[in-house]
Amino acid sequence: MIQQAIHAQRQASAGLGAAISLKDLHLGYDRTDVISGLSLDVQAGEFIALLGASGCGKTTLLRALAGFVPVRQGQILLDGTDLSQTPPEARGMAMMFQSYALWPHMTVAQNIGYGLKLRGQPKAQIAARVAEIAGLVGLGDLTGRRIAALSGGQKQRVALARSLAVDPPVLLLDEPLSNLDAGTRATMRHEIRALQQRLGLTTILVTHDREEAMSMADRVVILNRGRIAQIGTPEQVYHRPADSYVARFMGATNSLPAELSGKEGITLTLPDGTRAQLPRAQLHIPEPVAPGPAKLIFRSDAVKLGAEQEDGGLILRGKVAQHAYLGSVYRHEIRIGALRLMADAARKMPIGADVDACIPATALSLFPASPRQP
Amino acid sequence: MISRRTSLMLIAPALVLMAVLFLTPLGYSLIWAFREEEAGRWGIGNFTKAWSFYSADILFSLVIVTLSAALIGALSIAISGYLTLGRSRRAVALLRWLYRWPLFIPFVVAAQVMRTFLAKNGMMNNALVELGLLTPLQTASYLDWRGIVITFAWKQTPFVTLLLAGAMASLDRSMIESAQNLGARRLRILFGIVVPQVAQTLMVGLILSYVMMMSVLSVPMMINAQQPTMLTVDMAWRINAYGDYGVANALGFIAYLMTAAVAWGYLRKELRDRKGHA
Repeated sequence: MIQQAIHAQRQASAGLGAAISLKDLHLGYDRTDVISGLSLDVQAGEFIALLGASGCGKTTLLRALAGFVPVRQGQILLDGTDLSQTPPEARGMAMMFQSYALWPHMTVAQNIGYGLKLRGQPKAQIAARVAEIAGLVGLGDLTGRRIAALSGGQKQRVALARSLAVDPPVLLLDEPLSNLDAGTRATMRHEIRALQQRLGLTTILVTHDREEAMSMADRVVILNRGRIAQIGTPEQVYHRPADSYVARFMGATNSLPAELSGKEGITLTLPDGTRAQLPRAQLHIPEPVAPGPAKLIFRSDAVKLGAEQEDGGLILRGKVAQHAYLGSVYRHEIRIGALRLMADAARKMPIGADVDACIPATALSLFPASPRQP
Repeated sequence: MISRRTSLMLIAPALVLMAVLFLTPLGYSLIWAFREEEAGRWGIGNFTKAWSFYSADILFSLVIVTLSAALIGALSIAISGYLTLGRSRRAVALLRWLYRWPLFIPFVVAAQVMRTFLAKNGMMNNALVELGLLTPLQTASYLDWRGIVITFAWKQTPFVTLLLAGAMASLDRSMIESAQNLGARRLRILFGIVVPQVAQTLMVGLILSYVMMMSVLSVPMMINAQQPTMLTVDMAWRINAYGDYGVANALGFIAYLMTAAVAWGYLRKELRDRKGHA
């Protein structure tokens, strides 16, 4: 019944995916709450990435959407219909599993057509749809093969085709690219995104890879200990992190202890005992920071080695302790007294060399010394 | 690195034991099935005699064992299916605890239990009468072919279930969830997704049960003391009453052929499947 209603609604909305609204959601296992009081609105046709470290609750949230984790409290609304108590088989949200979960006793075509067979569609119609979807995901003439005879990338396409064949209102992707090699992963990212935009599917992706989340999603939701730490476009979460957890998760690994004094200035006591002043107005300060101990966080690619000091920026003198080649840049470990900084540069600096590490004030984010308790 | 000679020496005791205790008596009885003692010659006399006396029993054994195997298959799929897909944790835990009990009961005790359970005035009929479902006049004894089938199924279902539930539990859970996610209900998942993937284990369990049931003497002897009966009873009868080892060996040979046919059918299917996968 619910599936029919969802299908009718979808047809009325001209092929777009459905809108999802999560209201005060509480999820968990045994006595522990993994997700507590989470609310989120996803627009129809939007691509959302749930990003977070292991154990942050992102997979639990995705599995709850599919119906595999019971909802303790709150609602899961799909185009306004509450599905929180609906069994998984009646939700109509197609999920693509991390392990692909393909059935080895069936051929590729049988795997893709299984959902259609369950819906009682005639054989000819199933065959036509399977051929169409196989073509769409680039499986072409592999439909007669057994699953064991496929490569990782091909299996991934079969799993995607199987999810798409039933024309779902929502596509749930559980770390779909984690088992692929780097080259195939990059291609599949692009292909899944293009397909999602073409079909207008509402898509929720779970990943711990920030590059994957940023390159595929319209909005990124960063989860920390079962709560939303920040929701925003990839640019927002990357450049304007809401707290120190988000900043670190998005790659800002450098941290300097600082002292906030007065309203205008920030004093930084450097390892050699000298003090530096920073203009508060140029820094990114997303949450209130009380006068007293604080920390400055910045990315390694914001550091310029051996450059002239910019207005209001910070200049730190240190020694190169190590370097590693990352492909496009060299990552240097700079020792400044007891402090360690990571700095990227196009040119390799010799180990032991004295360098000036310059950080523009606009690349610095200021946060309280101890993170807020979620 | 162990030399070839040392490794042969290491397995020698096991090989000798197998040869002395298993292969020699088997070969001996197979060969002596063709020995006609009274005529003092070799031939198929024992087999023609066995067939003329016991053809009904050969067929009876085949039907009983096949029927029991089918019943065991159905029951073990149902139990292991519920253990894998059941949603009530308590029911699953209770079933998991209960189903294994018959495994620890010998065939002879199982037959004895069934005698008191299935007799005309046995526990089952008494319970049905007490519940008002039958009158004492309507009760009938199940101590015939049905009793053998029930006893075999009762005794062997836990064994096959144990193998099958293990195989089902080792399946990637997401295989079940992905079917559920596409809209499949539990029964459909069981027969469309789970059973095909554990079919090999089921076949192995059923073949082992088939062989075991073919060789049980106590159950047909205690439950079905009438004609037709199973081959094991006939063999015991030929030896104990007549000292006729020739016909007994011929019956044993026939029983062996019946189990070998099942094993051969299974192996053939297995090879064909492997070819299909390659």
